[in-house]
Amino acid sequence: MLAYSCTKLNDNDYATIVSSQFSPTSKDVAALVGVPYTNWRTLELGRSANAVWRTNEISADETVIPARPNGWVDGGIYRRVHEHKWTADEDNSYQIWTNAYAGITNCNRLLYQLDNNLIPVTSGKDQLEAELKVLRASFYYALCDFFGNVPIITKFDVEAGYLPPQNTRKEVYTFIVSELTANVPLLSKLNDGTTYGRFNQWAGYALLAKVYLNAEVYTGTADWADCIKACDQVINSGLYGLEAVQSTVFSTNNAGSKEIVFAIPFDNVYTSDGSTAWTLHMETLQPENQATYNFQNSPWGGICALPQFINTFDPDDARLKANWVQGQQYTASGAVLLGTMDKYNGKPLAYINELPGVDSSQEVHGYRLGKYEIQVGELVGMSNDFPLLRYGDVLMMKAEAALRSGDAGTAATLVTQVRQRSFMNNPAKATVTAAQIQGPSVYDYGLRNHLATTHESVSDIQYGRMLDELGWEFAQEGRRRQDLIRFGIFTKKSWLSHSPNGDYRTLLPIPTSALHTNGNLKQNPGY
Amino acid sequence: MKKLRLNLCCGLASLWLILLISPMSLFAQNAEIKIKVAVKEADGQPLPGVSVKIKGTNQGTQTDLEGKFSLNASPSATLVFSIVGFVTKEEPIGNKVSISVIMTPNNASLSEVVVIGYGAQRKADVTSAVSTVKSENFVTGPVTDAGTLLKGKVAGLSISNPSGDPNAQSQILLRGTNTINGANTGVLVIIDGVPGDLLTVAPEDIAEMSVLKDGSSAAIYGVRGSNGVIIITTKRAKGDKINRIDYSGSESVSQLTRTPKLLTADDYRAQIAAGLRDPSYDKGSSTDWIKAISKDFPVSSVHNLSFTGGNDQTNYLASANYRFLNGIFQQSNHGQFTGRVDINHTTLGGKLKFNLGILQTNFNDIPFAPYDYRQALIMNPTAPVKMPDGSYYQEPTNFQYQNPVSDLYNTDQPQTSFRSKYNATVTLLPVSGLRIAATGSYTKSGYQNLYYANSQNISTLRDNQNGVANISTGQTVERFLNISAEYSKAFGDHRFTVLGGYEYQDYDYFNSGITNHNFPTDQFGYNQIQLGTAQKDGQDFIISGRTQTNLISYFARGTYNYKEKYLLLASLRIDGASQLYGASEPYGKFPSVQAGWRITKESFMQNQHIFDDLKLRAGYGVTGNQPAAGFLAVGLLGYGNYILYNGQWIQTLSPSQNANPSLRWEEKHETDIGLDYSILKGFITGSVDYYDRKIKGLLYSYNVPSPPNLYPTTMANVGTMENKGVEVTLNITPIKNKNFNWTSTFTFSTNTNKLVSLSNDLYQATVPYFTTGYTGDPIQTFTSIVQVGHNIGDFYGYKVTGVSKDGYWIYQEPDGTSVPYDKFGHSFNDKQIIGNGLPKYYGGWNNSIAYKNWDFSVTMRGAFDYQVINFQRMYYENPGIINYNRLKSAYDPVFGTAVLNKNVPLEYNSYYVENGDFWKVDNINLGYTFRNLKAKYIHNPRVAFSMLNAFVITGYKGIDPEVDRSGLAPGIDQRDTYPTLRTYTISLSASF
Repeated sequence: MLAYSCTKLNDNDYATIVSSQFSPTSKDVAALVGVPYTNWRTLELGRSANAVWRTNEISADETVIPARPNGWVDGGIYRRVHEHKWTADEDNSYQIWTNAYAGITNCNRLLYQLDNNLIPVTSGKDQLEAELKVLRASFYYALCDFFGNVPIITKFDVEAGYLPPQNTRKEVYTFIVSELTANVPLLSKLNDGTTYGRFNQWAGYALLAKVYLNAEVYTGTADWADCIKACDQVINSGLYGLEAVQSTVFSTNNAGSKEIVFAIPFDNVYTSDGSTAWTLHMETLQPENQATYNFQNSPWGGICALPQFINTFDPDDARLKANWVQGQQYTASGAVLLGTMDKYNGKPLAYINELPGVDSSQEVHGYRLGKYEIQVGELVGMSNDFPLLRYGDVLMMKAEAALRSGDAGTAATLVTQVRQRSFMNNPAKATVTAAQIQGPSVYDYGLRNHLATTHESVSDIQYGRMLDELGWEFAQEGRRRQDLIRFGIFTKKSWLSHSPNGDYRTLLPIPTSALHTNGNLKQNPGY
Repeated sequence: MKKLRLNLCCGLASLWLILLISPMSLFAQNAEIKIKVAVKEADGQPLPGVSVKIKGTNQGTQTDLEGKFSLNASPSATLVFSIVGFVTKEEPIGNKVSISVIMTPNNASLSEVVVIGYGAQRKADVTSAVSTVKSENFVTGPVTDAGTLLKGKVAGLSISNPSGDPNAQSQILLRGTNTINGANTGVLVIIDGVPGDLLTVAPEDIAEMSVLKDGSSAAIYGVRGSNGVIIITTKRAKGDKINRIDYSGSESVSQLTRTPKLLTADDYRAQIAAGLRDPSYDKGSSTDWIKAISKDFPVSSVHNLSFTGGNDQTNYLASANYRFLNGIFQQSNHGQFTGRVDINHTTLGGKLKFNLGILQTNFNDIPFAPYDYRQALIMNPTAPVKMPDGSYYQEPTNFQYQNPVSDLYNTDQPQTSFRSKYNATVTLLPVSGLRIAATGSYTKSGYQNLYYANSQNISTLRDNQNGVANISTGQTVERFLNISAEYSKAFGDHRFTVLGGYEYQDYDYFNSGITNHNFPTDQFGYNQIQLGTAQKDGQDFIISGRTQTNLISYFARGTYNYKEKYLLLASLRIDGASQLYGASEPYGKFPSVQAGWRITKESFMQNQHIFDDLKLRAGYGVTGNQPAAGFLAVGLLGYGNYILYNGQWIQTLSPSQNANPSLRWEEKHETDIGLDYSILKGFITGSVDYYDRKIKGLLYSYNVPSPPNLYPTTMANVGTMENKGVEVTLNITPIKNKNFNWTSTFTFSTNTNKLVSLSNDLYQATVPYFTTGYTGDPIQTFTSIVQVGHNIGDFYGYKVTGVSKDGYWIYQEPDGTSVPYDKFGHSFNDKQIIGNGLPKYYGGWNNSIAYKNWDFSVTMRGAFDYQVINFQRMYYENPGIINYNRLKSAYDPVFGTAVLNKNVPLEYNSYYVENGDFWKVDNINLGYTFRNLKAKYIHNPRVAFSMLNAFVITGYKGIDPEVDRSGLAPGIDQRDTYPTLRTYTISLSASF
């Protein structure tokens, strides 16, 4: 007992490494520099998180999270997002802001450490720094898209108490473009295992194309020509192509698909915990579907398609069947699944293309999201990698930019190219002419719920057919809000229970917590 | 009382006696003769430790453990007998050769010794808010831990058992909630000088408990004292029949006090007949699911056997304690066996003392999963427990729904744990007035929790897991060393003591766990966990972890007493805690001062006959609280999320927090002003205290700007919390005579607990609130708000003002306007304060009556002016959910207007917030002692009957309004709360 070390405070940490006691070696480099890529996982998806994917989806006209007999009210957040009544206290603002800036700060920190030789990188340091700058720009792209007016901060070693000043959306856009144009050419030209899930040149150009595509929204001035140029960089690389079947891009084992330009990799074992898992199958299927796929957990039954959107599909479009879970549900052994809740207790569980509204639904209401292959026996997190940028999108970006530049012919050709694999049963329908691509939308906008039914004209939607094409090809890919904004109708049309609620809602409010901690920040107008 | 006197002879507390006793050399005067003296109490019990002096000299001695001594003295001499708690007595020797002296107690209990931190004081000298409860006043019955013994006994100390789970512990709240993120959220428990917890010692082994309520008395415990201190003194060998065996035992039976009124099978069928429910819901049986998971007649047993023996030089106490607490639900119980040995030895003529303690406790528990209770509440009452083929009824496709009886019997989850504690104290009394002592202890505890859900469990039937096993184990080693010296001296009217010491504690916890599933057979369960294949597929976790902390302390205290009239005390403790490793100031200083004025000692009070004693006291003290987590001050790197790197998944290494090098203690500054009084020769005694606590530098995960910070929160010392209140204790002894004794105690206390600020110089801008508490799935929102300028415990939600004719809520906007359901925004800004979960007033009234050989006591207590969120109503009073059973009240019109519309989703609102005010007749006890039994080998056998949680008066609609009040979201009656029980006990005790 007298052998106590009696005057020294314990400094053994058995869970983490005290930074001051750590000097990295070359074998730690990958573990250190890979950190900001994990931020894209939580920024885009996260487990049931109100981040980029969900915000872009359920604020728009394709999908919705209605109140279910088993829940999904959650304080009304999904309803407020659907109805465009969100506030600055909403989790959506908080998640996107926090995760994007966590990525940016990680990039800044790593750039600082590389600059000061705190991480022992001997070769390829310039390329690694360029990659981190492109990655950082990708986080600024998310901020520019959702908040617009955000602080640009590129330094890590700021003095204590430093509060970054706010920049305008235009400044943020200019920063992103200049960072990308300066650094993308320094990235790897390879498209293989060494670059999968990371930014190579082509992922960089695809991102640049995306930024140019939305230049008019971000700055007021369009830049279709630069968008086309950036798309051509990817197309001319010859390293990518369309999959013969669209669902291949979204299969469980889609890693390395030739259509994927930039993926956020997921794995049911390695990205299975907490905020890192991707749980779309759990979020969309009803609990009874556990028996369909022999899951080890009961799904939670929430997000589904808007009937109005499903109605826009051509019945011959293979994407209607392939991407949406619909009709009678069966167990893995083929027995008819029965409902368990309320009116559908003991009745066949068949997903129908009807939905009473965002405020109420039964378990049969709404087609479920099945674009990403649901593997039999899948765990809580899925193994499908999430394609954030894909070749089909590069073609469609180029098509839209060409269309908007007056080249409907090129646009029609590119759109047709993407459509072909989805009309194998009726190839004639795959072809879109220059005249057709300039046609109107077939979306029947208007309120469509148990309280009200209205119809709204679509004649004011310029390039409506192009917008429809984007909807059919890219549904469930977490981007519809951005497309609706670019086509000018995000805050103009009604759908399901949603009515327009102010043009300022093309931007999210800066989260309250950020406003309160940085006095330099001004809330976005309207909020 | 006897215990205390023993402490004086051999324990840490002997301040006065040491002064009085000179070495045992008695001088001849005239013709000395040898005289034998025996000192006893009125009831014949011998009195050890009585100071005996020859009048007019300094010669003296003290009585031994048998209350005896002998000395040589002149027949003309007079002996003076004194001991605290008794009237000093003089006895001329004359020509007697043996003298028997009977000491009579003081009128008031002023001379009782009160245990304070690192010592003891006469009650008359105490200058702080300390309450002591002795074993004869403890709550009776099969208590789950030592805390329950004090229920309702001490003003300002709220002890509750919010759960009927035999494995749950009592919950203690002393003067409110005092921390947000501090390490110590509960009261500090000191057992015979060594820190421990309320399960360390068997309740039957406790002699008395002292509660240090105010900051100035707790300040000597520095960083651990912020939530108050309970000092437990265990029983030791004593008395004239030192060689003896004591037995006490009890058998109890429990019943549920209330059960939720759910729809029955008949109700289901009536709903089907009325067209309110689809016929498919009639499964053809009638089952009371709560009954199905309950035991009919759960009997709990407690048996305690203690052996004492030895003599005044060496003595021992050895005890064995067995307790089996039988839960009301099936597969729910708590078994505990405690063995303890305590040995004392005195040598060098009383100048060197040893104490050795060994304690071993083993627990064998079967924990009850609250989820099974939830299932019993929601199961269809027309469903059978078992199918005709003997298998359990299940509906695997119904979401979060399973047969609870099946779960109870297809899950095997034994949990065992142990504690071993060794402690030793060496006390040296080299010269008069000086005491040097060293105490060391070594405590090792561990647990092993096993779990196997077999292939008949829903985890296989529905979730395809094919058997699920889990093993988790842990081990903790705590070491403690205290070295202190105390010197006391009196000259003239001045008396003082000084105390100084050093203390070291460390803590080392290691745990590991493994989960697996996909077993080829149920045969081996957790005994062959490697047989499951899920681990091989990377689907289950393996974990291990370790935490080490230490605390290094220095302390000093001085007291001064002038003419027994003016009393002063000052102390200082310096603590260093490893949680603050790397911070700029890891050591904290915690001072205190106390002063007392015994007004009745003043000359102007000498002619009044109302007050026997009146003492005004005031104290100010600072205590601390270190952060719960370690290493918050420094930058940390942790292995975290995986990335795909060149086709391989690798773990990233990234900073895990924003470092805060200026991190420090939470500091509680407390002022306590009190008045102790004794009126009409002890007819009325008691005390009144007012306290004002300010907890500064509250540890809170503060929002910081990100960028530039990596994370949007940093743990920092930012806020201030306030606790204020008044505590009143009033003891009345209406009847006191040879055959009949009645004492009545009233306690009353108030508490207001506020957040004063949530910022400091460094962290200015923030939202002035944070939300906390959680409704659970599927409502999924916070319940409570902690807001600057408001009370801790505020509920924050939608306020209901009515219901529309079609059964939709009418909600009130915070501006006061009522809006129909569809127009209500349901966002954060639409919420408001709809109640508060912390009682503002507590009261208690305890009576004990002794008539001849009968004794009767009743403990009553209540809490007032607070609310409870009734989660059972919130979740089960909504008629829209039809696939789970509901409370009958789901079909009652809301506010008499309309039944809630089926399309209204579950929501957290003020309709489910109820007043929690209650008055409980908590503990009733009736005993009979066979005092004059002529048996030679059995002494004072006693039989008693008692009831715990006997009756409650409340308007609350749930099971029990006395719910969890801990932390920052108090007042939530969770839907799965193990219901509280009423317990009937028969007990027997005797000495042999």
